[in-house]
Order: sequence, then structure tokens, then C-alpha cells
Amino acid sequence: MNKNLQLGAVLCLLAGVVVMGAVAVKKTAAATTPEKFIHVRVNDASKGEMVSVNVPLSLAEKVIPTIHNGNLRNGKVTIGNMDMQDVDVRALLTAVASSPDNEFVTVKEKDQEVRVAKSKGNFIIHVTDLSSDSDESDKSAKPDKSNKKHGQNVDITIPISVVNALVPNEKQELDLVAAIRALSNASEALLVTVHDGTQDVKIWIDSQNDGSK
Amino acid sequence: MILLAKLALGTLGTVVAAGGVISSEGFVSVRVHEKKPGGTHVSLMVPAMVLDTGLRFVPKENLQDASEQVRPWLPTIHAAIDALKSEGDTTFVEVREENQHVTVGTHNGAIVVDVDDDGETVHVSTPLRAIDNAIDQIAAAGPKN
Repeated sequence: MNKNLQLGAVLCLLAGVVVMGAVAVKKTAAATTPEKFIHVRVNDASKGEMVSVNVPLSLAEKVIPTIHNGNLRNGKVTIGNMDMQDVDVRALLTAVASSPDNEFVTVKEKDQEVRVAKSKGNFIIHVTDLSSDSDESDKSAKPDKSNKKHGQNVDITIPISVVNALVPNEKQELDLVAAIRALSNASEALLVTVHDGTQDVKIWIDSQNDGSK
Repeated sequence: MILLAKLALGTLGTVVAAGGVISSEGFVSVRVHEKKPGGTHVSLMVPAMVLDTGLRFVPKENLQDASEQVRPWLPTIHAAIDALKSEGDTTFVEVREENQHVTVGTHNGAIVVDVDDDGETVHVSTPLRAIDNAIDQIAAAGPKN
């Protein structure tokens, strides 16, 4: 009888340890949900300059609603007199979101190419501009002896959920905080890359706090 | 002899307690190192509480202008500092030029600014809690609404 009691007590103890362990593991998993950062990196190879900005999305989410200045109030930007010509943008976006991945628009000109597509829940905009105007704007840059047209490449990838959050409501407001939340919930992604001559701009989201990816 | 020991123990206790209180808010650290031969080297470690206490002695009329400017931004500053406190160590801004390297970030609950160029290196570290308290004091120096 005594042995049975002892066995019961040990089993209860073991069960308690297992339950507490499971709870602890669950809590740890919740606590270590990685913080997302938005990174902006500007590189100018000709001048040897680099600027890097890393902002935690949670910081932006907490700070932006407290700013009440100009058109930005309570985390929303009011855009004045935006005439959508009776187009239901939200319905349009929903339709695009539920359609299969596809390239919707392709424009090809002599020096320019624009493509708009949808892929894996993202809007993708790709612009290639081969005109050499952009090179002439920066006279201070070291001359390129290759005499090659650099042009400009712009790639934008935006999760559809973020675009949805940025659709203006009936008060003509863009909800920045909702867009940041949507970005936080989106997977790690490269949002914008711009290549212009010797300059590169990159904006992306990941869980690294110093943009060392 | 026992009286002397009690006295020493009391003094030691007071010093330890005072040290604990003074360092409770952390330290403001400033280091400047000029690279030229014979250049200046400055290294300061000031308890952040001194900043807090020093502000109490600044005449309020001298802080009114700053107070008026900072008040509308108080909720934003508090939200930012609270968020920064809960973040781990982060480098927010890094600028690298040919002869200069600047970083701004947080480390162990303090805002840290490091500048390294041809002429000098500068390091400034200020606890977030001290910044929060100082801003509160500056805001409170203005006229009551």
C-alpha cells in the first residue's frame, strides 16, 4: 500500500514537471518571437559613402500614433481631394489579390521598361530606365571611363496586405499604423531596390537589428 | 574599539548606500580623443542623477522656451523612449564616409553616439531613463496650462 502511494506521488510529481516544462517552453517560444526591423541602406560606391538606418517596426508602431503634426494624426495621414473617379479601390485590390499570379502590365519604350505583376502575395513593380539623364545629375561623382549607359533600375515588392492597409478610407486617410502592422506580419522581404549609376538604395525587412544580412 | 568599529561600519554603509542611490540611474559617459600629437583626451563618467539634480537648479525662466517647444512632443518622446527601453541593443543609424564613421544606437539601456574621423574619436553614452527624466523636468519648467 505504501509502495503504491509512493509510486502515485512520484507519477504526480513527474506529471507536474512535464506540464510545467510544456508551459515554460510555450512561454519561451512566445517571448522569442523575433522583432522585425525595417532597414534602409544607401551606398555610393563612387564616393565610398554608406548610410544605414535600422528601425524596429514595433518602435514605429508605438511612436507614429503619438505624432499629431500636419496631415499626420493618430497614425493616419489625411490626403486632400483625392478623386478616385468612383473606382472602388478596395474591391479592385481584393479581386487582384484573389487572382492567380500574373504579369498585369508591361510597357516597353525605347529607353524604358515598366512591369507590374503579382507574385506570391506581393505586388511587384519593376522599372528599368536606360536614359543617361540620371548620370548627368551628379557632377561630383567620379567620371566613369567605360562610357556605358548606367540607367536606373527600380524594383518594388510590396505585400498585398500592406497595400490593402494603405487604401484610403472614406475620410481620405491612409492608416500608417495598419500598414506597419501588416509589414510586421509579412515574411522577411526585400521591399525596394534602386540602382542608379554608382548609387544603390535598398529597403528591406528582417529580424536582424543591425542590417548585417 | 567596538564604538570605532560601529562608526566605521556606519560610515561604510552610508557610503555604499549613497553610491547605490547616485549610480541607480546609470552614468553619462563622454570620451573625446584627439588623434593629433599632444591632442586632448577627455574622459568623463558622471552619474546620470547629477544631470537630474543639476536641472533643478537651472532658473525656470531659462527653460521656458525649451519647455514650450518640447511639450507638444512629450507623448512621442515618452513612447519612443519606452519602446527603446524594451528593445535590445540596436544600431539605428550608421554613416560611413571615406574619413568618418558615425553610429547612433542603444546599448544596455543607454543612447550611444560614436564618431570616429581623421581628427578625433568621440563617444557619448546617456541612459534612456536620464533622458526621460530630464525631458520631464524641462517640460515641467514652463507655465502650467
